[in-house]
Amino acid sequence: MSKGVQIAIGGALVVLLLGWYGASQVAETSFAYYQTLEEFRAHPEAATRAVRVHGYVAAGSIERDVEARQVSFSVQETPPHAGGATGTPMHVVYASLETPDLFKDGAEVVVEGRLGATGTFDATNVLAKCPSKFEGVEPGDERSNTAVSEGREPPGTSS
Amino acid sequence: MSDLGASALGLAFFTALAGTVAGLLGGLRKDPTWASVARRAVHIHFALVTIAIACLFAAFATLDLQLEYVAAHASRNMAVPYRIAALWGGQAGSLLLWLWMLAGYGTAAVLVNRRNSGLLPWVCGMLLLNSAFFGLLLNFVSDPFAKLAPSQLLSDGAGLNPLLQHPVMMVHPLGLYLGLVGFAVPFAFAFAAMASGELGTAWMRTTRRWTLWAWFFLSLGIMLGGRWAYEVLGWGGYWAWDPVENASFMPWLAGTAYLHSVMVQEKRDMLKIWNLLLIGLTYTLCLFGTMLTRSGLVRSVHAFAQTEIFGILFLGYVVTIAALFFSLLIWRAPELRARHQLESVLSREAGFVVNNWLFLAFLGIVFWGTLFPKVSEWLTGTEVLIGPAWFNSLVGFVALPLLLLTGIGPLIAWRRASGSNLRRQFLWPAGAGLVAGGLAGALAGLRGGVFPLLVWSVSGFVVGTIVQEYVRAVRARMRHGENPVTAVATLLRKNQRRYGGYIVHLGVVFIFIGIAGAAFNEERLENMSPGDTVTMNGYRLEYKTALPIPAQHYGGAVARLALYEGDRGVATLTPERRVYWLEQQPASIPSVYSTLNEDLYVILTAVEPDGSATVKLYRNPLVNWIWIGGYTFVLGTLLIMWPHPTAGGRSRSAEE
Repeated sequence: MSKGVQIAIGGALVVLLLGWYGASQVAETSFAYYQTLEEFRAHPEAATRAVRVHGYVAAGSIERDVEARQVSFSVQETPPHAGGATGTPMHVVYASLETPDLFKDGAEVVVEGRLGATGTFDATNVLAKCPSKFEGVEPGDERSNTAVSEGREPPGTSS
Repeated sequence: MSDLGASALGLAFFTALAGTVAGLLGGLRKDPTWASVARRAVHIHFALVTIAIACLFAAFATLDLQLEYVAAHASRNMAVPYRIAALWGGQAGSLLLWLWMLAGYGTAAVLVNRRNSGLLPWVCGMLLLNSAFFGLLLNFVSDPFAKLAPSQLLSDGAGLNPLLQHPVMMVHPLGLYLGLVGFAVPFAFAFAAMASGELGTAWMRTTRRWTLWAWFFLSLGIMLGGRWAYEVLGWGGYWAWDPVENASFMPWLAGTAYLHSVMVQEKRDMLKIWNLLLIGLTYTLCLFGTMLTRSGLVRSVHAFAQTEIFGILFLGYVVTIAALFFSLLIWRAPELRARHQLESVLSREAGFVVNNWLFLAFLGIVFWGTLFPKVSEWLTGTEVLIGPAWFNSLVGFVALPLLLLTGIGPLIAWRRASGSNLRRQFLWPAGAGLVAGGLAGALAGLRGGVFPLLVWSVSGFVVGTIVQEYVRAVRARMRHGENPVTAVATLLRKNQRRYGGYIVHLGVVFIFIGIAGAAFNEERLENMSPGDTVTMNGYRLEYKTALPIPAQHYGGAVARLALYEGDRGVATLTPERRVYWLEQQPASIPSVYSTLNEDLYVILTAVEPDGSATVKLYRNPLVNWIWIGGYTFVLGTLLIMWPHPTAGGRSRSAEE
């Protein structure tokens, strides 16, 4: 067996080990992404793992408690100003004061965390979507051209 | 003016098409007439694209709001340098910049190698085929010279994202593009070698400097991107495994593997197929990465707004170019059998092979992680996003062995290392590694886990290797009567790749030292009323006040915090929270107190209604070493590329 083949076999073993380890790490370090509250609620496994859910901040729902260092708000299916049915909002508790720059009533947000036992969403991170200025959205372009801005990651490590 | 640009762009597209055909005919028929047509097409194409981009620059400089592209990316309140740099702030302009660089590289490569009659027609053909694709996009899909209808004209443009109006951001895209586009030259030569059947090392030696050049700029672009993220984005970090970062990092990994493995082919005439494979992979990844960021395939901040057709066209292009290259490689493979075999696992060439495997494993990790959301969506219907933690948990397993090899490689002999050779070579570097590890353990302890300690001891070992290599070589020259300074200069001139390469490795060591420091990062969120203080690792930070910002284009608040080290005041930190009026874009501008030991990085998160400030504090140990490593890296690469009359131009033309 040539030395090149020996090294290749050794390399393949290392790759297999790494692959196995990488696969085992996915569950702990990833988030399932749901485009709507409805989609989130429809997936039973979504209640048991870390997720990111996209929605809109319900008007007047933001309570910023500086003493307790937490922000609570509700997230709903559609933008408040759009009118029409908003669906059942989801109550979110975020144990931090570090809200993103664009966080306000009606803001398009992505909440990251897990669904608690009481039905309240425990957010570990809140990301606000803002229109990206890298390029204007063309009329009729369905893919919403948005970036994410918040404190802990660069804009756009998600969305 | 803009009409001239549009016409030039149209002509450039047809020139590229015609030149591609001429190159193909010149190559297939070995016909000098067609070959010279192809060569001229390269130059004419470059001239036409230059006219087009000059027109677009002029449109930006004069703020020609008739042009849709200008109106969407520039505004009156932007300073002129930023207004000009806005040319590459969007899709169409950055494609034009890409095409211009590609055309420029083509002209330069043809001028330098004009006597290389066998390869050149194929080189021209391949380069112009690439140009033709970008010409197609610019003429028919993403036209920078498209005009607004009279009813849509505005009195001012929309402006560029204020976060991008930063000196680093004027240079970072240029660096990236010069790198990504630059790999087209070695790729085209490799393609030409296979197409023409001149399978020797001529294509590789001819493009050595071109490859280094591209690699240098790609490295620079990536590092500047990290620096910009750290200074501007205000999240305390410099790298987050965002798909766009990965898109530029993947070709870098393949290209770095290639730079190492060519040395094995030059020395031992081995790995011929492998090298062709690597350069093909590198350029394919350059294009693939560009497609990733531009087609909106993967969720990311840099994604440009896109039409469906664009993604399909681009995918078709990447697949075509890769298929052309790799099918030629399969066809030629029987003629590329190596003349030598690896003789021992303990040899320099085996070290290079392991190095290549590690780089490709690294590439595999990044590739898989980047595409995982898409794959999971296809398979399960739910998009699963992989966080930076996944990458961080894996890359150490390949990055640390790579760092170790940096120290081991130069110590092992070519062909077969003997026991006494190993003892003589490893004694001092291994000692240096143990000392470094012991020191790091005593200073930092195990708070950050085992990994940083391993990184720092391996760093000590690598530095030991580099110093030993220099000391031995300098001593040998001093025995011939040279003084130490001229000895070092001679080394860098006579064997610039080896001794310049060590400087590059030293830069990499510094970067690793800095990255390992991140294991000790601290972050805190504090709510402070005026007069409150917080302490962090011997520093005391006192919040004084917050003031409104007196600026024209943005508003917001600036906080003033006094920083003390013990009782000594060392700095006033002024983190800002801005809102840019025109763009309705908020931004947090961090304030950083930076030393060789650590950075203290402060962000103003909010000014609360009661007058208190919520601030985020980061302590980032050793982060400055990443930038120091970057400078060292640049210096080392320049030392390698520096043209010396003896080692450079003359011997190169002799090789041709």
